[in-house]
Amino acid sequence: MMPLVYFQILSAILFGIGAYGVLARRSAVLILMSIELMLNAANINLIAVAAHREGLGHFANFDGHIIAIFIITIAAAEVGLAMAIILRMFRNRGTVDVSQINVMKW
Amino acid sequence: MSGLTANIYLLTPEFILAGLALLVLAVDLFLPDGKKSILPIICISGLVSVGLVSMIMLPGVNISLYGGILAVDAFSLFFKIVFLLIGIFIILSSAQYIKQHLSHQGEFYGLLLFSVLGMNIMVQSRELLTAYIALELLSFSLYVMVAYSLSNAKSNEAGLKYIIVGAFSSAVLLYGLSMLYSATGVTKFVDIGMILSGTSELSPALWVGVALIFVGLGFKLSIVPFHMWAPDTYEGAPLPVTAYLAIASKTAAFALVLRFVCEGLIVAESLWQEWQMIFAVLAAVSMLVGNLVALAQTNMKRLMAYSSIGHIGYILAGVTVLSTDSLVAANSVSFYLVGYAVTNMVVFAAIIAFFNSTGDDDISSLRGLADSQPLLAASIAIGLFSLAGLPIFAGFTVKFYLFAAVASSGFLWLAGGAIIASLISLYYYLQIIRQMYIEGSDNSAHVSSDDGHGVISPSGTISLPRTSFSTTLVLGVGLIVVIWLGVYPGPLLEIIECASEALMGTR
Repeated sequence: MMPLVYFQILSAILFGIGAYGVLARRSAVLILMSIELMLNAANINLIAVAAHREGLGHFANFDGHIIAIFIITIAAAEVGLAMAIILRMFRNRGTVDVSQINVMKW
Repeated sequence: MSGLTANIYLLTPEFILAGLALLVLAVDLFLPDGKKSILPIICISGLVSVGLVSMIMLPGVNISLYGGILAVDAFSLFFKIVFLLIGIFIILSSAQYIKQHLSHQGEFYGLLLFSVLGMNIMVQSRELLTAYIALELLSFSLYVMVAYSLSNAKSNEAGLKYIIVGAFSSAVLLYGLSMLYSATGVTKFVDIGMILSGTSELSPALWVGVALIFVGLGFKLSIVPFHMWAPDTYEGAPLPVTAYLAIASKTAAFALVLRFVCEGLIVAESLWQEWQMIFAVLAAVSMLVGNLVALAQTNMKRLMAYSSIGHIGYILAGVTVLSTDSLVAANSVSFYLVGYAVTNMVVFAAIIAFFNSTGDDDISSLRGLADSQPLLAASIAIGLFSLAGLPIFAGFTVKFYLFAAVASSGFLWLAGGAIIASLISLYYYLQIIRQMYIEGSDNSAHVSSDDGHGVISPSGTISLPRTSFSTTLVLGVGLIVVIWLGVYPGPLLEIIECASEALMGTR
């Protein structure tokens, strides 16, 4: 069995890339994709831990898997909503560049 | 662990609420356009009946459902009633706005009811995933409601900013949850509390997990430095949604934070003492930044956004001083949340009524309101005095109670900072009152020539339509409660005492 720490490092890196993407990207769609990366980082972490603990015989519950399934479902709903709002934005303003979405400041 | 259906009848209010939301959506499909005005009536009667059912079924019950995932106790009952009342008040005060300014009314009411459902589950949840799902049910409804004026660029922008920051914050919260889970293998608040109190030295994973969960919640609560979305979202959203954001979502999120902190964190006393400092600093920064930036605002919604950030700071100061040995802090936080909700409701109901007749939400447009609409002006003035914490209004008693709790737990500097922040807030609240009462008196000729307002006709007579019955009702009830809480808060405090006992006793 691969050590748990590999998975945790992978998930930390994914989370970091996602967070960087949210801060650095200009396009709202790409920001959403970065947020997906962050959510999946959490999923990898959860499933790796749950599987690892089962393998060690610590406790055979499925909390980690269940949480991951819920996260996937909620993330799908979230993306649907966000895309609808971005689409609306594009119809009204003709852009999805977040640096130009600045009617309101301070 | 008992079976899935054991005690499921205790969730009847939630089932009715979900059914009601679906019913409203279904009824809306078959209603011709002219008859949509029965939708708010259905919603209100439904919410009232949910409240009655909860009042009949749940008092005295103190049970954890599904192996300790949902708590049906006095604390959740108290906040459920608060949320239902907020829902009713929002619908009453904004039915006319929704009819005038928004299309697709049925979906709006449906979403509102779903968000009330989310809040009800949120205050009952004793486990992180359940809390997260309830939080998302609330947030998703709010995302849509914020972006509800489809062709309004400001509303779109507000919705986009809100959903991006909201999704980001839930990703952070979930990563925190996964760290916590990987370090401990548990997600229930009580188990987290047991593990934390068993360790003297925190492992880094646990530290990062709890910290990220609070960063996520901090975004939702718009605590400084995670507040940047709030002013834009408040300004762009339709007014009833702004009111709803400011009142309901904050109250619900704090109810969740109260339960999480009381069951999970304060039991580990040595660790909690370290964290108290972090909370105290965040609280101080929130109240100062919120109130200072509010000084420079010219838009009413934006001003209320910064003012709410300031109030979040006060409430967070109350959360800071929660402890295992006394109920005072928990009482004062719940009490503050109620006072804050009622007072804001009055202010927003008046602003919504004003917006209905003028279509303007700048502070300068309030000029002379005392002459043209004395009831609205008086409501806004009393509400703002209460928010600032002047005596005989609710704001004074709740602030007094909260600051006393903060000071008596050794955080004197925090209480001092809160009092200074309140003084600052008095300045910008008084600016608005000055616009309404002083500016207008000798300015009516100037206003009418200024034609952007059109509030007062050239002859000086009042051309505004009268406020609707429902608005008058909301304002009347709200003002009575504001003054009642300010003069005689005893009965409410007794109820809150029971709620806090249930909260602390379930450890």
